[in-house]
Amino acid sequence: MAKAANLSKSDLDSSSGSDLSVSSRTSNRSLRVVEKERRKNEAGDPFLLALKYFSEVEAGTPCIGNDVLERNLVQVERVGLSRGLPPEAISVMLDYAMSLRMGGMMCVRVLKFLIPATMVPQEAVVRAVAWLCVSKIAISTQVLFLRWVLTVFDMIDSKDNLRAIYGFIFHFVTEENLSPYICHLLYLLTRRESVRPFRVRKLLDLQTKMGRQPFLLLLLSLYKVFCPELVALALPSRMRSGFKNHNSTWKAALSAVQKRNNSQVSSDISLTLGVKHKTNSRKRKYHHLEVPSLSSSVQRNSPFSSSRKVFPLEQLHTFPQLLDNLHRIELPSQMGSLLGSSLALCYLDYVQDDSAFLRLNFWLGHALHEEFLFCSGDGSSGSSSGALHLLNRLLSTQHFLQEGFSSTEGFLYKFLNVWDGSLLRPQILGLLSGIPVVPSSCINQLLFEPLVQLFFTSTLFFKCSVIDCLNNMLLKWLTWHSVYALEDGLDISFHSHTPMNMTLSGFMDSVVELVRFVGRLSAVGLQLEGCHSLLLSFILDFYETVCDMFLKYGLPLVVMPPVGVFYPALFATDPVSLDRLGYIMYRYKKNLTSAKCQQQETKQAFHISRQTYREFNHYLSFMVSCLWNSKMFLPGMAIEVDQELLSLSKVAEPWTSFDLIHHPAFLGYALDFHHKCWPERKEMDLNSIKAGKQWDWYLEFLFSQGFQGLQQFVQSSITRRSAAGTNDQGQGDRQPTNS
Amino acid sequence: MEERNSTEETPRNNALAQRRSKSYRQSMRSCVEATHLAYTSGLLTALRIPRSRKAPKSCDITKQVDPDQVALLVKKEWQLSYVTPLYQFRHTQLKSYSKQLSAFIVSEKQQGLAIEVGQELGFKVNFSVVLGLAETDKDAETVFIQILSKQAFSAKDDAQKVVWSGWLTCVNGDLDYLRSLPLEFVSLPLFCTRGPESLTVLVKSWFEKTFDCCFGPLGINSTNLQWLASLWTGCHPTINIQYLKLVWTLPTLPPMDVTYTVHPQDAWELWDSMRQVDTTEDSISIDEVTGFIKGLQSHFFRHFRIDLSAGSLMQISTALGSSHHSGKIKIASPNYIPTILQLLTECALLKMPI
Repeated sequence: MAKAANLSKSDLDSSSGSDLSVSSRTSNRSLRVVEKERRKNEAGDPFLLALKYFSEVEAGTPCIGNDVLERNLVQVERVGLSRGLPPEAISVMLDYAMSLRMGGMMCVRVLKFLIPATMVPQEAVVRAVAWLCVSKIAISTQVLFLRWVLTVFDMIDSKDNLRAIYGFIFHFVTEENLSPYICHLLYLLTRRESVRPFRVRKLLDLQTKMGRQPFLLLLLSLYKVFCPELVALALPSRMRSGFKNHNSTWKAALSAVQKRNNSQVSSDISLTLGVKHKTNSRKRKYHHLEVPSLSSSVQRNSPFSSSRKVFPLEQLHTFPQLLDNLHRIELPSQMGSLLGSSLALCYLDYVQDDSAFLRLNFWLGHALHEEFLFCSGDGSSGSSSGALHLLNRLLSTQHFLQEGFSSTEGFLYKFLNVWDGSLLRPQILGLLSGIPVVPSSCINQLLFEPLVQLFFTSTLFFKCSVIDCLNNMLLKWLTWHSVYALEDGLDISFHSHTPMNMTLSGFMDSVVELVRFVGRLSAVGLQLEGCHSLLLSFILDFYETVCDMFLKYGLPLVVMPPVGVFYPALFATDPVSLDRLGYIMYRYKKNLTSAKCQQQETKQAFHISRQTYREFNHYLSFMVSCLWNSKMFLPGMAIEVDQELLSLSKVAEPWTSFDLIHHPAFLGYALDFHHKCWPERKEMDLNSIKAGKQWDWYLEFLFSQGFQGLQQFVQSSITRRSAAGTNDQGQGDRQPTNS
Repeated sequence: MEERNSTEETPRNNALAQRRSKSYRQSMRSCVEATHLAYTSGLLTALRIPRSRKAPKSCDITKQVDPDQVALLVKKEWQLSYVTPLYQFRHTQLKSYSKQLSAFIVSEKQQGLAIEVGQELGFKVNFSVVLGLAETDKDAETVFIQILSKQAFSAKDDAQKVVWSGWLTCVNGDLDYLRSLPLEFVSLPLFCTRGPESLTVLVKSWFEKTFDCCFGPLGINSTNLQWLASLWTGCHPTINIQYLKLVWTLPTLPPMDVTYTVHPQDAWELWDSMRQVDTTEDSISIDEVTGFIKGLQSHFFRHFRIDLSAGSLMQISTALGSSHHSGKIKIASPNYIPTILQLLTECALLKMPI
């Protein structure tokens, strides 16, 4: 579109068109032919004729009483205000106006309807600036022109040539009336190479002459961004809004034209100053909690670096900008400022600069230490909203980068020792769940000891959130592992190094430690809280992660829950826990069987011990005989009760009391089922469910209630010898996986 | 609280030493799976609190250090801060730092007025190196900063008045720590300042912006005050300490301050009796120090029935110098500067976040 426009422009306007590159010229030759063809057809188009008139009209042609001029002008004006002018028309009209071929009045009139339809050719603006230098345009008209340039700035097709005449534009800065607009324009055009000591001095001279004008300061502040070694400036807080808009004359027409053309060209006219300055109003005692503002580094002492084109992070506003300038982005003077910008974090993730991370970690560690460990503010620190804000930002940053900072890690190890378990709990636990794998040699001292103390002395909800936190921690460790395992191919040998400077066996040791630790915590926690179902639910969440470590995360490791978790879940009074236990056992079985298969195939020595298989079989057979076969309290089973004691309880058939019908979790369903099966029966006989087809129906009924875990458990672990004919109870498969 | 902090693990060296190997990074094909932010701990080395120190030896510091510069440091009370390692600080750039800092101060004082760097201003800043204070080759040389003010109505030839001074130093810093820092970082962990707080804030803020470092207040906890008391008392045979004054604050309502002044000879005899025979002459152990303080406390208890160990030691002073809990120090005699600075450097390094 733009090229076609340029072409037709070059036909009309003989003076230039040279900004087209050779290649595009040749490739567009055929286009040109088509264009000419079209032009012939439209020879009568009054708009084109009008443009032709303006491009050819002689200087000094009178304008008063000139009907031809008036007719053509109205023609172009109408198009301009309704549809917007194509690039070539802009070029012609701007040249016509600025050359003052028919005087200043015409110039003003033309400028007012110069609404671009798509874009403004840069070369037209450059030529207009040239006219600004030579002809005697009235100051008010000059201002109008500059305001027009600022308004359409984003629609100028490229700015290279404009930057090339930076010096000429800068020249106008001393003109008192133009100065605000020139400063704005310079602000938009400035690159580091345009900041020169003599320009700085000129602006400072102006500052002494004109006082603290916002436009001067804003331009100077940009100069400071590029060359902090040349100029020092602290912007007062009232002056942080940026430049004013100067688009009033064209605003309505421009937006109407753009709406009509449904133009994609962004004309975000409100050019605000992107540089955020820190507010000084904040009390100094919270100084360490403040994320520093992005500003470029003063550390440019070598002559080479100053000539290199760099892109300060301060000017980075969009992701495409980041991609375009990835190779020449300059890290800010204070790495802590990256925390405030997700774009900068993208960049940080991309560059892998040790020093940069170290700087960031120093800043972050310092902030955390000062706030929570040294408490240098006053006694009430930590509860301040500043701390909350910082931690939330840190959490979202770590979430964004999907990893924790080492300074956070170091801080947490210290802080756990002095934490009361309630201060900013969600944030602290959130950070804790993001710590990288801790070597098994010190995991106990750093993590477990302080956590145990907090865990056993706190409320149920704290216990739940600790288990949740450890579950998230395990999930992250496993995810890291699986990502690296994938990257290294399938060759998971025990000596390959993960990037965490850890061997696979070292990593497994840590995971085993963590899982065992949670097992201990859970067992005792459940006892302390009377097997609270909320706590149990969090614990089962954890084991849902644990049971799938092999299949989901490729870690050749299976750890069974301790008895203190298994039996409370099995005898839980709520069906949900039992259902989840069923699912967990089902996944354990899947993992163990596929581990076994792989072991047989590859003949590789896996470190899943016989003990694990034995434990699993033990749990499984107990579960099957208890739920399915109604066998309980038999000698040799995990739970043995003295027969005499049992008879004292006066429970009839005590061995059936935890089968699928009588289990406290399912009793309600059994009653419901019984009622639905035999609505006319007066006497309740639950045992009748066990007989015949009713048992199958009962199972169907249970599964239809949403107990998918139970269903998977039953289907995977119980082979029903009973064919359709023999209506005895199914037999549990007592040895699903042999060790 | 402080006791607790100081005895905790400081897993910092691992962070620096265990950076991910370059080779891995180069082999990384996608950028998703990077854990470079977390220098995961390998060996967590504890930064040990020294349990023994060398006995201070009187040395003529003026042999190594320019006496004029020594005169700038002694007999003045300094407020202490710690500072994290300075990124890309160069001792060769001090002239340019002088210009930048003075421009920064003026521009901050005159909000909204741009200042050309290098121009003559109301403030003049001098950066200078104090050569000779560093003890090991890993210690960075001390940097001294002076801010001079031009009086508005002073005659041209009037000497400019020093309104603020400060220095950054590192004496006998922990070698493992200093070695673990990448080359771009210069560790000068101890920052001593003297002058109006507003200027201190500006100087700190300039350093933070320029060298990406962070400042924090550095208090001297009671253990370190006890060390100082013992070290200074031990000097009595060489230089008369004239008195040993200790100030305790007891947690009564309202809090009670106890000032306890001991005759120098008595203090020295008590200290000498605490010195264990088997220890070598130039080493002092923490047990001797606590024994010394306990002796002083029990003496006080016998007379006044007040147990000073229930309170906290706030301040100690002798003719050799004085030191306050809140992080103020005054070194009166140049002869023991290195000993004191080493102790303070240790305190500052213990505050490093990683």
